[in-house]
Amino acid sequence: MADVSLLSRSRRPKWHYVVVGVGLIVVAVALTVAWQILAAPGSVGSRAVGPARVVAYFFGSLLFLLLIAGLVLIVILLLREVRLNERQSNFVSAVTHELKTPVASLKLYLDTLEYREVNPDRRAEFYRTMRQDIERLNATINNVLSAAMYTDRPVADPRPLDLARLARRTVELTLNRYQLPKEAVRYEGPAGLRVAGDAQALETAVLNLLDNAVKYSKDRVEIEIEVWGDADGQAHVQVRDHGIGMSRTQLPFIFTRFYRIGAEVRRSRTGTGLGLFIVRAIVKGHRGTITADSPGPDRGSTFTISLPGLLEPEAEAEGASEAARA
Amino acid sequence: MPRVLLVEDEEHLAAGIRFNLELDGYEVETIGDGLRAVERLAPPPEGSMWDAGPTVDLVVLDVMLPGLDGFQIVERMREAGNYTPVLMLTAKGLPEDVVQGLEAGADDYLPKPFDLPVLLARVRGLIRRRDWARAPSEGATLVRVGAAEVDFAGFELRKGGETVRLTLLEAMLLKLLVERRGQVVTKAEILEKVWNLNPDTETRAVDNFVMRLRRHLEEDARSPRLLQTVRGVGYRLAEE
Repeated sequence: MADVSLLSRSRRPKWHYVVVGVGLIVVAVALTVAWQILAAPGSVGSRAVGPARVVAYFFGSLLFLLLIAGLVLIVILLLREVRLNERQSNFVSAVTHELKTPVASLKLYLDTLEYREVNPDRRAEFYRTMRQDIERLNATINNVLSAAMYTDRPVADPRPLDLARLARRTVELTLNRYQLPKEAVRYEGPAGLRVAGDAQALETAVLNLLDNAVKYSKDRVEIEIEVWGDADGQAHVQVRDHGIGMSRTQLPFIFTRFYRIGAEVRRSRTGTGLGLFIVRAIVKGHRGTITADSPGPDRGSTFTISLPGLLEPEAEAEGASEAARA
Repeated sequence: MPRVLLVEDEEHLAAGIRFNLELDGYEVETIGDGLRAVERLAPPPEGSMWDAGPTVDLVVLDVMLPGLDGFQIVERMREAGNYTPVLMLTAKGLPEDVVQGLEAGADDYLPKPFDLPVLLARVRGLIRRRDWARAPSEGATLVRVGAAEVDFAGFELRKGGETVRLTLLEAMLLKLLVERRGQVVTKAEILEKVWNLNPDTETRAVDNFVMRLRRHLEEDARSPRLLQTVRGVGYRLAEE
């Protein structure tokens, strides 16, 4: 609690500093212009137009420009900091909510079981609810830890693994987590596709994509996950949903840490804004790329992970399945 | 049977709270998003159709909601003249959030995670406080304060032909001061009795409410004669 309030103290947006910065730039520009008019060789009131004066004028102008460029740079940096600060405050808010809500629910049900007479049917229902809360808590903790673990770090020890199998496993996990019917998430692709990589990290990445696809679906969940290898030695995983999609203006930001669509107090979807950031960190660690595309709001989204390091199908079949299981 | 409206989007919490409130004999209605809550609680400007639904005795309101947040919902309710007591629940238990909630017009505030007995006590307390504020003071429903006449049963204050609607908290604060007319009531006592808050809580809520009452009661709110500040201690309602 103390840490959260400490973070919150610095979360007030520092927009007024940006305003001061812009004001300073305006003053500097005005000063430069005024000085140019007054000090220009041959301007009103200047007595001699000697070479020394021309040199002084030249260097003076240069220094003024330097001053303005410096100010502009500082304001740009400040602007970036302010934006990060804002996203961080959203993140604190989101994580607080994501951690405290399941804790509050667990406490409420524990209290209820302790203070009330509860019949066996209800009791079983309460236990189910509590188990789901623990899973949600665990998922948030894993997300926060993954974000710290996979940031700016290449995969230390790429091993052969079966990407097709990994993808099918993530489908199973997702169907289970959200209690979805089998046809809600369809797998398309070969029975096996061998690549070199970190199986656990890649599983986290694909799971995050599927998680988002479910979360941002509309009433009916309809997701396709496709896996394929191409002639350039690249393996691809594509997750397509038919959910709320996004606009062109949102696309550039979605892989940014803590970015979430909309304001945090009016949150309509659970999450911390770390999911896609983690996906990108993991894919970058594999020297791969991730792309996102959406035809527009309400028209679904498509995410594609492309990884180099496609392996020949025959070699080391044993090691691959082991890595995929890990 | 008192009716409680529960505005909470987290299904698990909503189901758990509902189960417990129903066991305690309340009728419970649940709404899962902010916009629908406002539709239910804040009547639109006169002239348009509004399906009022059954009267609600207490609102238990979450802060983080889809559509519209809890602070905005209370504000809209109060603006629309709905003075139903509101108990706010939120994951953010920072003092400034408590104050923001109270200033928006909430009557009580509980940070998540909460203790079940505490939640139930607060719910009982709010419904009882509403009855207490309504009950006639020393046998009289109408109390004269300066040039104004206060009707605690109707939460109304009349002065010079004008009628002002009081919120539950304004009415309670004024009632506490009226009952102890001529004596100093400390800020700590006000926080405890009116807000149900720990007396050590750092908040300007009491001062803000006193300012609001002064605007209703005093000839000149900046140089108050009736509702006096006793520096460093609290407030006193002058004897007439």
